[in-house]
Amino acid sequence: MTTRIIQKMLLFLTFSFAQTVSAQESQDVKWDGEKIKGVRFLPYAAYQGFPYLNNSWQIGKIDFASGESVDGLNLRYSTFKDEIIYYNTTISAQIVIDKASLAGFSLQDGPGKTRIFRKQFFDGYMKGERYFEVLSSGEPNLLVYRKVSLQTTSAYKDQRGVLTNLEYANDYQFYFYSPEKGYTSVKPNWLSLMARFNKTDQKPIKKLLRKNKIRISNEESFVRAWKVIEKEGFKIIP
Amino acid sequence: MKKITFIFMLLSVITTIMKAQEKSSFGFYTDRDVYVSGETLLAKVYTPEINNSTMVYMDLVGPFGKRILGASLEIRNNQADGYLQLPDSLSSGTYQLRAYEKNTVGKVKIIREIWISNRFDGLEKTNQIKRAAVAEIKPDKKTTEISIAEIQPEYPVRSSINASIRIGESLMKEIDGNLLVSISQTEPNFTSATFQVQSDQINEGKNQDKGMVLSGLVTDKKTLLPADSITVYLTIPDSIPGFQYYVTRKDGRFYFLIENYYGSVQAVVQCFGNTEVQRLKIKMDELFDGTGTLSNFTKQPVSEEFKTNIKRNIDAVTLQKIFAQEKLRFSAAPLKKRAPYPYYGKPNQIIDPQLFIDLPNFNEISKELLPGVKFRNYNNEPSLQVLNAPNRIFFSEKPLILMDGIPIRDLNVIKGMGTADIDRVDICQSERFYGDLRFAGVVAIYTTKADYSNLPESDQLIRLKLETIQTPATLTEPQITEANIPDLRQLIYWNPSTEPQAMLSVKCKTSTVLGQYRLVVRGRLKDGTLFFKDKPFEVK
Repeated sequence: MTTRIIQKMLLFLTFSFAQTVSAQESQDVKWDGEKIKGVRFLPYAAYQGFPYLNNSWQIGKIDFASGESVDGLNLRYSTFKDEIIYYNTTISAQIVIDKASLAGFSLQDGPGKTRIFRKQFFDGYMKGERYFEVLSSGEPNLLVYRKVSLQTTSAYKDQRGVLTNLEYANDYQFYFYSPEKGYTSVKPNWLSLMARFNKTDQKPIKKLLRKNKIRISNEESFVRAWKVIEKEGFKIIP
Repeated sequence: MKKITFIFMLLSVITTIMKAQEKSSFGFYTDRDVYVSGETLLAKVYTPEINNSTMVYMDLVGPFGKRILGASLEIRNNQADGYLQLPDSLSSGTYQLRAYEKNTVGKVKIIREIWISNRFDGLEKTNQIKRAAVAEIKPDKKTTEISIAEIQPEYPVRSSINASIRIGESLMKEIDGNLLVSISQTEPNFTSATFQVQSDQINEGKNQDKGMVLSGLVTDKKTLLPADSITVYLTIPDSIPGFQYYVTRKDGRFYFLIENYYGSVQAVVQCFGNTEVQRLKIKMDELFDGTGTLSNFTKQPVSEEFKTNIKRNIDAVTLQKIFAQEKLRFSAAPLKKRAPYPYYGKPNQIIDPQLFIDLPNFNEISKELLPGVKFRNYNNEPSLQVLNAPNRIFFSEKPLILMDGIPIRDLNVIKGMGTADIDRVDICQSERFYGDLRFAGVVAIYTTKADYSNLPESDQLIRLKLETIQTPATLTEPQITEANIPDLRQLIYWNPSTEPQAMLSVKCKTSTVLGQYRLVVRGRLKDGTLFFKDKPFEVK
């Protein structure tokens, strides 16, 4: 009996304490959601290949240039146009978010895996603002511009039965980037990676990769190799 | 055992609540206790740590309970400082200076009673002054761990003060935030009283943890009931206009977060009915709280010495005005990150009609100069359509029409505008989205006058002059080069953001105003205790 009274009193005290300390009106106003600006998304021509990063909408976060961010959005990255599209559930519209208003975005690609894209100015061929995926953050960063371009191929009939010779093809471009040295192009293979180091460094790097049992055969192993090399303090040559 | 556990838990809960309340202590200080109308009052506020508001409001309430003016101060590190420019027209009397945060845990206002004398009307006929008959808050703790050295008991006019403030090691570890160091004239016949009142506001609005919140209510003019699902627009016209919207719920209320704006800002709040016939009314909430019920007061006799001192102060302030000895130097407002382009998107076309032939009205302008814009005025019923460039067809709906960044629906407002009235026209020839709003193209007209005079104010459109976050200011010493021009400062040092250091030095000059002065160091400890140390001296 006494225990029950004590329990009830404790419950009451805890409740009143919580009331005292946080008797604030709940903030149910979503201030940031309404700041998303853009134009209506118009579907692309149905060629062979895939003009998006992913097949479906992914939950993601956008970061505005002003420093604010909005989370929990249905996002889709158009690798063809280098635009981020979001699905506004309230008005059931696919909207291409104004690139000028964003600093970047991130996508949830499977449990615990976040893909981070950052808007950066690219000063090489086809100058302009681009979304780069950050594969490795450090000094320098390893970035990839996931470009999909229209390329000619042998003639085929598309979904509507129209004869065409165009297809969406991946044209991914990898870069080492540091604010001081700018962009250094690299291909995700062993030879291209080695070429980015001094001759004197190449031998110990080969040894290091062997020791870590890394064989560069795809993007994933390339990123893993770079992370191991970077950890050992090897520097790339511009 | 259970009883011991229970007692222990009870004690810990009580201790935590007491600690929370202690930390909720407000500290509110002004540079002086006695002012003359037309002067600038400087203040510092220590805000309760447990509140997460980013704004503290400071306002002045007159002897009869009327709110006179106020300022919105930005809280940084649980403290804020600001100023009020006391109007010249204030009559002599006891005023209440209030500091409060909105919708916070404590829901308290801290009130500081100050005396203001009218500059043109002395105290010759005044025999009594009103003082609030309210229990004062616990006075600040006078610390012994601060020593103020190198302050002489007397200083001649225009002489240098080189004071050093030594803070004990144990106190240094306990200080929370910055110190307030000030040297000002004191008035022995009037000491400000500080007291707290519980907020009697029924609706304090949203918690202001992100910035200033502007709120109001939309009612249906026909039913007089709160209007549901009404989109309320807030526009802050500027070179790149700011825009927000809010869709009301059943309670008809709307809220706007005013971020990154400093000083006085023009704003327009408007709404449109969901049907052509629906008529609405917007009522804005007051930014500052109502004055509520005034506390009881007592009357105290006025001493002759007080009258003499007030006369001296009035003379000093009048001469200060004559010699234009500005007290404050305003810092540039922190640069806000501006949007790189207007909220309606990057325009496809930017047209400057003044570069072309003179055209008398918007109909002619649209026909001759604006590509993809169809403005017609058949039967005196104007219509406007914009080309949807990606689909190569005109939108069937009316586009978003803006005048100096402010949305308008009534095309009669623009139909008479000729090339002389228009500075430029931005056109967006695509379907634009802003949050959940959809616009069938945009036509943004920027007028040459840019004074919003074409916008008729109504129940559905309110023009506001918003007092946003006060621009920071610092006290300056006047640059007086001629010896015959008096230096008439009664406040000779004010630094509300002094970084605590073991050894602090205060360098300033006394003015030509004689009287009793006091150097005060104020601060707050991590446990919320407010402390001070002072040292008086006289300027002869």
